[in-house]
Amino acid sequence: MEIVMSILAGILFMTGVYNLLQKQLLRIVIGTALISHGAHLFILTMGELKRGAPPILTDGIEQYTDPLPQALILTSIVISFGVTSLLLVLAYRASKLNGTDNMEQLRGNDYE
Amino acid sequence: MSNLLALTIIWPLIAGIIAAFLNNKKRVVRPLAQLFAVISSALAILVLYLVSANGTIVLETGSYEAPFGIVLVGDLLSVTLVVTTNIIATACVFYAPKSLTEKQESFFFYSFFFMLITGVSGAFLTGDIFNLFVFFEVLLMASYGLIVLGNGKAQLRESLKYVLINLFSSMLFVTTVAFLYSVVGSVNMAQVAQRVQEVEQQGVLTTIAILFFFVFATKAAVFPLYYWLPRPYVVPNPVVSALFGALLTKVGIYSILRIFTLIFVGELDLTHTIFIYLAAFTMIFGVIGALSTHNVKLIVAYNIIPAVGFMLMGIGIFSEVSISGTIYYLINDMIIKAALFLLVGVIAYVAGTSDLRKMSGLIHHYPALGWLMFISTLVLAGIPPFSGFVGKLLLIQGGLANEEIMVVIASLVSSLLILFSMIRIFVRGFWGEKTKSPPHPERSKSAGRMIWPIAFLLSLTVLLGVGAEWFYPPVEWMGEYLMDPQMYIDSVIKE
Amino acid sequence: MLLAVLLPFIIAIFIPLLSRWKHNLHTGFFVTAVPVVIFIYFIRFIGQGFEPVEREYSWIPSLDMNILLYLDGLSLLFVLLISGIGSLVAFYSIYYLHKSEQLGHFYVYFLLFMGSMLGVVLSDNVFVLYTFWEFTSLSSFLLIGFWNHREGSRYGALKSMLITVFGGLSLLGGLVYLSVITGTSSIQEIMSQRELVLNHEFFPLILGLILLGAFTKSAQFPFHIWLPDAMEAPTPVSAYLHSATMVKAGIFLVARFFPMLSVSEWFFIIVSTVGIFTLCWGSYMAVRQTDLKAILAFSTISQLGMIMAMLGFGTELAIFAAAFHILNHATFKGSLFMVAGIVDHETGSRDIRRLGGLMTFLPITATLALVASFSMAGVPLPFLNGFYSKELFFQSVYELDLSVTGIIAFLQSIFPYLAVFGSIFTFVYSMYFFFGTFRGQGRIEKLPKKPHEAPIGMLVSPLLLVVGVIVIGLIPDLINKPFVEHAASAIGGADISKDIYFWHGIKPPFIMSITVVVFGTILFLVRPKWASVYKIVPGILSLNKFYDGLVARTERYSTVITDGYMNGSLGRYMRLILVAIMLVTFSVMIYTGGFTVDTGNLSDIRVHELLIALVMVIAAFGTIVAKNRIAAILILGVVGYGLAMLFVVYRAPDLALTQLIIETVTVGLFLLVFYHLPKLKKTSESPFTKTMNVIISAGFGLLMTMVAISAHSSKLFDSMSSYFVDNSYELGGGDNIVNVILVDFRGLDTLFEIAVLGIAAMAVFSLIRLREKKKEE
Repeated sequence: MEIVMSILAGILFMTGVYNLLQKQLLRIVIGTALISHGAHLFILTMGELKRGAPPILTDGIEQYTDPLPQALILTSIVISFGVTSLLLVLAYRASKLNGTDNMEQLRGNDYE
Repeated sequence: MSNLLALTIIWPLIAGIIAAFLNNKKRVVRPLAQLFAVISSALAILVLYLVSANGTIVLETGSYEAPFGIVLVGDLLSVTLVVTTNIIATACVFYAPKSLTEKQESFFFYSFFFMLITGVSGAFLTGDIFNLFVFFEVLLMASYGLIVLGNGKAQLRESLKYVLINLFSSMLFVTTVAFLYSVVGSVNMAQVAQRVQEVEQQGVLTTIAILFFFVFATKAAVFPLYYWLPRPYVVPNPVVSALFGALLTKVGIYSILRIFTLIFVGELDLTHTIFIYLAAFTMIFGVIGALSTHNVKLIVAYNIIPAVGFMLMGIGIFSEVSISGTIYYLINDMIIKAALFLLVGVIAYVAGTSDLRKMSGLIHHYPALGWLMFISTLVLAGIPPFSGFVGKLLLIQGGLANEEIMVVIASLVSSLLILFSMIRIFVRGFWGEKTKSPPHPERSKSAGRMIWPIAFLLSLTVLLGVGAEWFYPPVEWMGEYLMDPQMYIDSVIKE
Repeated sequence: MLLAVLLPFIIAIFIPLLSRWKHNLHTGFFVTAVPVVIFIYFIRFIGQGFEPVEREYSWIPSLDMNILLYLDGLSLLFVLLISGIGSLVAFYSIYYLHKSEQLGHFYVYFLLFMGSMLGVVLSDNVFVLYTFWEFTSLSSFLLIGFWNHREGSRYGALKSMLITVFGGLSLLGGLVYLSVITGTSSIQEIMSQRELVLNHEFFPLILGLILLGAFTKSAQFPFHIWLPDAMEAPTPVSAYLHSATMVKAGIFLVARFFPMLSVSEWFFIIVSTVGIFTLCWGSYMAVRQTDLKAILAFSTISQLGMIMAMLGFGTELAIFAAAFHILNHATFKGSLFMVAGIVDHETGSRDIRRLGGLMTFLPITATLALVASFSMAGVPLPFLNGFYSKELFFQSVYELDLSVTGIIAFLQSIFPYLAVFGSIFTFVYSMYFFFGTFRGQGRIEKLPKKPHEAPIGMLVSPLLLVVGVIVIGLIPDLINKPFVEHAASAIGGADISKDIYFWHGIKPPFIMSITVVVFGTILFLVRPKWASVYKIVPGILSLNKFYDGLVARTERYSTVITDGYMNGSLGRYMRLILVAIMLVTFSVMIYTGGFTVDTGNLSDIRVHELLIALVMVIAAFGTIVAKNRIAAILILGVVGYGLAMLFVVYRAPDLALTQLIIETVTVGLFLLVFYHLPKLKKTSESPFTKTMNVIISAGFGLLMTMVAISAHSSKLFDSMSSYFVDNSYELGGGDNIVNVILVDFRGLDTLFEIAVLGIAAMAVFSLIRLREKKKEE
């Protein structure tokens, strides 16, 4: 299953990167979201999948799934959320100010 | 005693939070921020003193023994860089009130500023690779806050690219950490180093190493990943550019330095040879960029890139001398880049433009500014006896000792072109016909105040050059220390 | 002795104060005292039985960068030149530069130069030598740019700096290499290990680097082009830096390393050929100039070429002649520059086409010019020092060893002819300089100023130099035994002793001299008839055009190259970055055999997991093809929820909860923001870009998958996680291990994760609320 998950995460990266390479801001931001999903899935897969119970101590259970990747993902999810929300607002403001949401028209040569 | 180490990270965090609550009271927040920055520097210097007297300080946060908890490792290198960061930041915070509009100041400039210091210091100090990611995010997020400050049209446009590329590399970073964790089962850098060494960096580990390299190289602006750098560094306020130029790329270089001396040293022929080639290209393309423009801010921004090449060259050559050279160059470059961005900020301010073709004869009205520009040009080009020379000399020595002739020649050529790119500002902007009055006479007064922090930073570079005898021996020791990863490992993991 | 080197720097610091303190007194008076003191200090070292003096002062011992001063015959010759000519020039400048000029600046640069130049010739430490070397370039830059309101000044300053710093950096490379090979940075110690250096496989490179430094500084062909433009500097500077001292630093360097470098055949081939060619080219070009200072500049180039050639010959006689000529050249060329300065000062013009017939107005100046220019021409008269050294030059070129074969033999056989050729033109420009200025029909009334003799103060310095010319000419032994001999011995590394005679008998050197005079006179007289030759020769290979083109092209092509890829397009940047990452990482993975698949350590595949995965794949592709923005965002949500489902399946309840909440909020935010933005449009990508995008994204996805599979297949160690499982309850007091890790074991992460959120909140706030008033610009 890990291989399937790796492929799935790879596909998330792939579609994410493809979106990132597009011109329209919405697609680009969607791309980053997909990539972060892919990244989180990779982290999860890197711990061993399904080897034991959820990492909540319970009497009589010796085997737990690897808790560390989960903790890392949790931190990463929250950070991604922060960045994504900033990015959304930034995208909104930048496209409003510059009057376009097409990155190719946001090349710019004036630096104020 | 070792808790002091955490204070160098926590103190700016607290300062940032306090500043956030005082955002509308600029009368209070300004002196307070300056005071906090000075205290922060003093703290860092105190820690540096302790480290140089007693050796590496390892702080196991929450008292969980390494490698299981997060450790902060205050060795001579990381603490020295924290001190440098704080000193630069202090110079910037004194420059800020003259440079920023009041609006910008009240929209959390000081909070972002202190958070940036937190992130940078944390990245230098942490001994945990996932924690490094977190500190990267702190400093990046603070930099996002700083770069959009002002909300200009071009500013937001460039910020967007900056954020997107950094976001991508952060995601790659965290994924790569996961890969590494899968192979060696640890995120503690000392333990990772130990384990990678144990299995002789076999199998997929070198591939993971290269991914790490690209993650940091994107932040550090190494060829061919630096495209995002120049323009976003030009659009924000000069004080923000100075912080970025001095600190952000350097964190990337520091990470490469750390990771590729401590952890991934098993495939030197492959990885470090790649570095040498990339270093040569970085120097040449970077300086070509600097020559391509007439915008003074952009000239300085592009000049970040060849400097990164110099430092990468030292890592690639991988000898005690060259690593010391990289460290010396790193410290020098942090200071001089901050000074230069502040400087071109003033120049653009008094000239009313940052287009070199529209400037002339400024030296007749602003002699002090002109000479500061001249000296910083020399520092940047590595003319002795300024500090740029010491690092360059060591790098060339290291390169020639290992017979890496091509990269040495590339470094000499790029030194010349760096000088050319910078001296144009002096020759075309400062020399020339004397005009009756400066372009914006009303700005002379505040410009006069703005040059003090710059003069302070430049005097440091002179001190680092002329007084190299005081500073070089510890750096030389750092070179030896980095070349022997066991020292780091032993200080963290006590069996 | 250190004090003597540092004195100029120390005084330079006080100059700005001094000139403010004494407004009415010319700053030059203070400054003149400095070289005079230094001159007096050093002159006492002259004498028979002179032994090298060494002094060491600690500076940066850990970098092997100590101030090691070494005074032998060679450095003494230069030190006396620097301080002697320095005194005269400083005194001369008092009358040349008016008080209304920025004298403070001028004298600071002047002293900076003097100190650096002393440092160059006295340093035995290669790094310190390099430091001073660059400082001479910098002070020269500042002095040329002294009148920086002139376009020509700025151009000349930049040019000289670029060329000499280019040479300086090359020199640095060579010097560092020497110190790396020998393990020492002392020149004397490096030379004592010369076998090591000579047998090093990169010796030719080192030789080339050092010579490049010397040739650029000493204006050897083809690097001479900066010197004529350096004439934009005030004339005292030209006399001092660009004739007597700084340009001889390259000669000094070659002389200093002579005992080591000259062992190589390449030394002879390169140095003597470049020298001779420079001699010919310089003197040939000098005749074409119309500006007095330009004539002298090309003449300096030519004379430097001659000295360089003699060092290249490397025979004892040639070395001796070189040392002798260094001194002689300083005397007559120094005075000629001062004469040019006087003419400029008193008539307002330096254009030889407008001058002429000044003999009657400036009789003293004219007399000085006469003696000096005839000495320069090598006219055989017993009181002209120039003739002596010219004669020695001819003798040394004639006596070159012809027993060798190959290219060296060829060169040696043509050198005498080239030497005569160059000297004929030397004769022509010397006559041209003197007669063109002082004789013939002048149109005095058309000059900017009415010419009259210069003030006495201005005449003192050239007069002293001309006296020097005559005294050396009459009694060469006055300086030979106590002085020149030691310099020559120091260069050659062996005792060299020669006698200087006026009359050698009718031997080849004398015949050569006579040939020069005869042909020179003829060519001078019929000059208009052959002047058109200049349209052909420099016309087609103008090095200045080459330099200008190079500089302009460097900037232009930099712009073209940089704008070529730095076009501000995020898509372009990302494509380049991704391609770079993929190429290198794939290569490394293949090269190290990093890709491994281990199927033994996998968990089983369940249908429902596959179904979730399938849905996510479809949704992920859906975001690409979705035509409607709301649909795209919602489909993205499907991926997020799918991930949450996977978290549930893979026993990560906390993650699943967090993911659900955050996904919901994010989708909401997306909808909120993009409701205000334009609708999705059909993208109009070129097929090429489209294909590239597909390849890049597919490749990158593949790369990540492959690394992931390999990483998972090579779990080499047990995870540290067992510690958390074992200690979660005891140390952290919680059952939920993930939570304990977050808030306890790795609490620092969480603290700063919260900080990130906090900063993000502030940034969002300022993005939305901060509205600058319209900026002034």
